[in-house]
Amino acid sequence: MTMMCARYGLRFISVFITAFVFGCAMFEPPPPPNVGNRVYVANESGNSVSVIDAVTLAPMKTIALNLKGTHDLALTRDGRTLFASNLLSGAIAVIDTATFETIATIPTGNRCHSLALTNDERQLWIGNIGDNNISILDVAGLRILGTIPVGKLPGHVRFSKDGRYAYVTSQQDALVNVIDTSNHRIIGTIPVGKLPHYIIPSPDGRYLWGGSTGGTEVYVIDMATNKRVETIEVGPKPQHIAFGARGMFGPFAYVAVEDAGEVVVIDATKPGASKIVDRIKVGSKPSGVGASPEGGRIYVSVQGSDEVAVIDTGTHRVIAKIPVGIKPVGVVASF
Amino acid sequence: MEQQCYSIRLHRVLFLFVFPLAMVLVSGNPEALAQLAPVGKAENALGTLTVKRADGRVDQLKGKGSLPLYEGDECKTERASKAFIRLTDGTQVAMNEETIFLVQARREKGKGVIRIFKLLVGEMWLKTAEPVPIEVETPVATAAIKGTEFNIRVQPDGKSTLTVIEGLVEFGTPFGTCPIRTSTVSFGERGKRCTKPAPIDPSQAIAWIADVVH
Repeated sequence: MTMMCARYGLRFISVFITAFVFGCAMFEPPPPPNVGNRVYVANESGNSVSVIDAVTLAPMKTIALNLKGTHDLALTRDGRTLFASNLLSGAIAVIDTATFETIATIPTGNRCHSLALTNDERQLWIGNIGDNNISILDVAGLRILGTIPVGKLPGHVRFSKDGRYAYVTSQQDALVNVIDTSNHRIIGTIPVGKLPHYIIPSPDGRYLWGGSTGGTEVYVIDMATNKRVETIEVGPKPQHIAFGARGMFGPFAYVAVEDAGEVVVIDATKPGASKIVDRIKVGSKPSGVGASPEGGRIYVSVQGSDEVAVIDTGTHRVIAKIPVGIKPVGVVASF
Repeated sequence: MEQQCYSIRLHRVLFLFVFPLAMVLVSGNPEALAQLAPVGKAENALGTLTVKRADGRVDQLKGKGSLPLYEGDECKTERASKAFIRLTDGTQVAMNEETIFLVQARREKGKGVIRIFKLLVGEMWLKTAEPVPIEVETPVATAAIKGTEFNIRVQPDGKSTLTVIEGLVEFGTPFGTCPIRTSTVSFGERGKRCTKPAPIDPSQAIAWIADVVH
């Protein structure tokens, strides 16, 4: 009797375990949606974000925003959340890239312009041109938690590799401000050229590259000393910059030169002795530039024709022109 | 007779097609509808309340009245002026002298509209009628509430003082968030975490509302 009970007990346990394992397999959470290999483009007069398949280079989707003046973009590292600034509405849109849905709209400040996620992605810093300050958004709670007054007409914001410093261009003052992120105080100002707008750290995080959009040059700042180490003449109205590589060689800086209708390619391997190695015609008024994560493709928003030009860094040829919305500006690419 | 039939037919068409179509169009964009509706009204001003609309037009309230407020408005009191506002959800708001705030809103999927007052300078008192989420943003901190009464003051340098009369307020700066409870005060300063709550007699902090709140 005892033996029989034990046998039935064992059978019950084995059936239970089998059912449990089978059940677990049945209810395994679905894999995360594939949001990789995409390019996002902010359309300032289209009030929308265009999505491009980075493999086929075909348009995937246009996300219409219920806001005006879509200008800059920031994408989380996992590619799941996209932030879009909207100059005329003074608000940002938060977009779920899996569903292409706007999940929040958040007022930030007058003419909110540029976006930068902190290195830990816990905060989004937003430059408000009309208020001469930066709003700080708590990414988890979607609340603005404070502001930092900066120079006049703040352009773009970027962080040092260790996250200790934030760099913000002050367009009217022709300066780059350095902010200590531990106390939000401006600890340094670096004089640069006229109307400094876009900035981006070099891939090794040692140098900050920026364009003097009111002039004709690109400047390079050593982020260890906060001193300008060189100025490179590129042409009228330099705009956004991205870094790419050419096989074993690089990095190269790709600079959109708006009034020349071209992307200037600079060998950035020897800061202080950088050289222009190519000029690629892309069309009228190139503005935003984004690079694929591995650096093999450069995506350039071309405002004159409402397109994105795709440059292959191996050949420096424009391999595609993809139609997007009206007046494309900011460009970001996902992994 | 024929004209009467035509009129009835016209009404039927309007009722069956035009009205539902209008409803569909309106319900298709609830955000637009929300932005057009008043968020509340100013009911009393000691001195002058000046309201600058999003389109630049300026309205004023002097004494008792009913001045509707909309999202995007900037409300301002000068020296020796105070104002009392009642929101459509029943929340009461008082403005002390030399106060400026913007009426804004955050829209979140699943949470709806969260009312935001962007307090640039001056002093506000808020008392919510029911647990509706409201936030007050200052230049250095944000106070988020759900059914509570509190007073918040912003100095010209942005330094913010939060006094909770009753309930719980999440008081956050970019350096952290502190829960502040009944009869306590906390300070927010640029570049720092908000201070630990300290006990206070809240009646002192809101003595200024006595002559404006009714």
